[in-house]
Amino acid sequence: MKKLITMVSAIALSAGMAAAEPSGTFRQAHELGFGAQSSLDPISKGRVFQITEKIMSRLVRPGLDGKPQADLATSWEANEDATVWTFKLREGVMFHDGSTFEAEDVVYSLNRVLDPESDSPARSAVKMITEVKALDGMTVQITLDTPFADMPLQLMDYRLRMLNEGSGDTIAMTGNGTGPFKVEKFDAEGTTTLVANPDYWEGAPGVARMEIIGIADGQARLQALLGGQIDMERGITAQQQVMLKGSDKFNVQVIPTGNWRGLVFRTDVEPFSDIRVRQAVRMAADREELVALVLGGEGVVACDTPVEPNDQYRAALSCPQDIEKAKALLVEAGYPDGIDIDVYVATLEPTWPTLAVAYQEQAAAAGIRVNVVQAPTDGYWSEVWMKKDVAATRWNERPADQALHEIYLSTAKWNESYYKDEKLDAMLGDARRELDFNKRKAIYVAAQEHLLETAGTLIPYTVTKLIGVSSRVSNLDEVKNDAVRWHMITVE
Amino acid sequence: MLAMLLRRLFLGLVTVWIVSMIIFAGVEMLPGDSCTAFLEREAKGKLLENCREAQGLNRPAAERYFDWATSAARGDLGISANGEKSIAELVGDRLGNSLLLAACSLALGVPLAIFLGVVTGLWRDRPVDLAVSTLAIFAMTIPEFVSATVLILVFSVWLGWLPGIVLTSASAPASEFFPEIILPVLVLTMVMTAHILRMVRSSVIEVMAGDYIQMATLKGVPYWRIVFWHALPNALLPAINVVALTIAWLLGGVVVIEVVFNYPGLGRMMIDAISDRDLPVVQAIALIVATVYVCVNLSADILTMFANPRLRTLHMRRG
Repeated sequence: MKKLITMVSAIALSAGMAAAEPSGTFRQAHELGFGAQSSLDPISKGRVFQITEKIMSRLVRPGLDGKPQADLATSWEANEDATVWTFKLREGVMFHDGSTFEAEDVVYSLNRVLDPESDSPARSAVKMITEVKALDGMTVQITLDTPFADMPLQLMDYRLRMLNEGSGDTIAMTGNGTGPFKVEKFDAEGTTTLVANPDYWEGAPGVARMEIIGIADGQARLQALLGGQIDMERGITAQQQVMLKGSDKFNVQVIPTGNWRGLVFRTDVEPFSDIRVRQAVRMAADREELVALVLGGEGVVACDTPVEPNDQYRAALSCPQDIEKAKALLVEAGYPDGIDIDVYVATLEPTWPTLAVAYQEQAAAAGIRVNVVQAPTDGYWSEVWMKKDVAATRWNERPADQALHEIYLSTAKWNESYYKDEKLDAMLGDARRELDFNKRKAIYVAAQEHLLETAGTLIPYTVTKLIGVSSRVSNLDEVKNDAVRWHMITVE
Repeated sequence: MLAMLLRRLFLGLVTVWIVSMIIFAGVEMLPGDSCTAFLEREAKGKLLENCREAQGLNRPAAERYFDWATSAARGDLGISANGEKSIAELVGDRLGNSLLLAACSLALGVPLAIFLGVVTGLWRDRPVDLAVSTLAIFAMTIPEFVSATVLILVFSVWLGWLPGIVLTSASAPASEFFPEIILPVLVLTMVMTAHILRMVRSSVIEVMAGDYIQMATLKGVPYWRIVFWHALPNALLPAINVVALTIAWLLGGVVVIEVVFNYPGLGRMMIDAISDRDLPVVQAIALIVATVYVCVNLSADILTMFANPRLRTLHMRRG
């Protein structure tokens, strides 16, 4: 026992020695997606996540391995059927304004997300919560309307940040959180300045200041990185990375993500209401080639599953191009001369037009004659997507359960392919109720196999993110945004 | 003269009013509104309703235009979408920055252009003319975003002498824009100088071939006296209009330059506001740009009239 204490204090001592005074400034850009409606409210559509991720904390965060890790909650446990979850909170955590983090703050923050009146986009991640209750000052109980064994995964959502009770009306400008950095000045269209929070529960951050700069133009962001005006850019394209790779002033991090782009064939209209046609149009795609042509090789082949490559529930599927089978399926479905389809794209997502044209070439061999239609970027989501029979889509990564629920459940708000399948609905319900990990995994895998059989959405790949980092930056975790420990990084 | 001025001013006001209506109708006709632009694929149900309610978008377009026009006439341009700042203040900052960019480019570009124009005009078809004119054609024809990118590459990335992108915030005082402003000013100067230079050059050539110059030469007036006393005052008249148009172009927001350099001026604000369907901001900028065009053109005409007695009397005789 004594030995243990010495060891612990030795570790604490060395940690204390390593943590020097915060110094230097780390600069990064954000793409200014929401103009004047940009906000520090983590659950507003206009949230600038490049800022909120550094100033606010969640109950549970993704560890470097992507699995749930303690953040403001130190431990959690479920009742027998996983309908009631109890979270123990971290003691001694303070908000930037000096108030103490307590159970009531969690109740407030989660109820704010769940409020049907404000209808936050983040609500769909935690819709299954029926009640949030403070058991005592440092314990919170969450009751669900369904058994859900993976509740902590949902709480890792990047928007579910803990706010101080009652701060909802001012949070958009103050950004008062418990994270490693505090807001000094918020100016979305200019430069937002953050300063180190010396009282951060994991210890004082490595850098003294962070500047998050709004630069809308992608080319300008790259120029700023090349010219040394910013230290990191998290959206380098495969073509651009050539400029960074040859230089010793930059490093490039390569990080596979669950973000995917694809084509949606609406399952409720002719000819795609015939399952054989849906199989044929997806089978005609050569996914390896699409990754090479569209992404310059920086992607991972997906077999129409929205589950990301590194997710514990990802099914190992294979989906090679099969022109002969696609032709046969079309004949069987009553289209011996092939089919003519209009595929709608927009430059909203720069890779869509390339994807559509590459697919056009591939599918032609199977008698699928694709006409690529360029729709205007403005109004794409309201006028084209979910309206036209075939349209391009894109999604950012979500936990497996959430991705499947939000896009494929019969009743889902964003069921873009109008996919209605009782078997899949049942499987998704069963998976949530199943408390044994291996059995649960088997169900999720079966659901993905079922989608490969029946879905109307072609998901050819998930994209790999390239991150350009100046060599003056050290200790930047090589993981997704969501899991980076921002307090660790240091600059020369 | 005064009557003419008043008539022009009145016509100017009418122009600005018509422009505001056209802009409003134009933005209204684009698919979607500021809420669908903001919420993207989440533009559904309660969230969309809340947003439209907050921004007053559920009222008919004519009513919204009328409200906007009456408050604008009183000088109230409304508040920004997040409700934090007045649009007048936001647009004012950007206008100031665009003015700064324009002033720097004009201060550098106009004297340079006139000097080079006179030199090339006087030494027509000599090596110096050929060299400068060729360069000018290059400067005019290479798109701004290309020359901008090349300058950034050379001066910021390779040499590291100047910052490539402007990171100063929109409300910062003018002095803080140095040295970031240098590269955009250089690019603008290149384009602008080329245009004005060619105008001045052809005008100098034309004047120098005039009868009165020949007369003066025959009378034995010294060459430089002819150039400075007789030729230049006449040769520079057409340049006034070109310079005026250049000023209007610069103040109207040099969109491409501002986007490439991330410069917080009117042009970038306009582009962002249009893609966000932020009608009040689009309207405010359109109003300013239209006013600038009207004023600059008017003052150019007046200047020309003062400089050229013939035009003055012509107007007087007419009424």
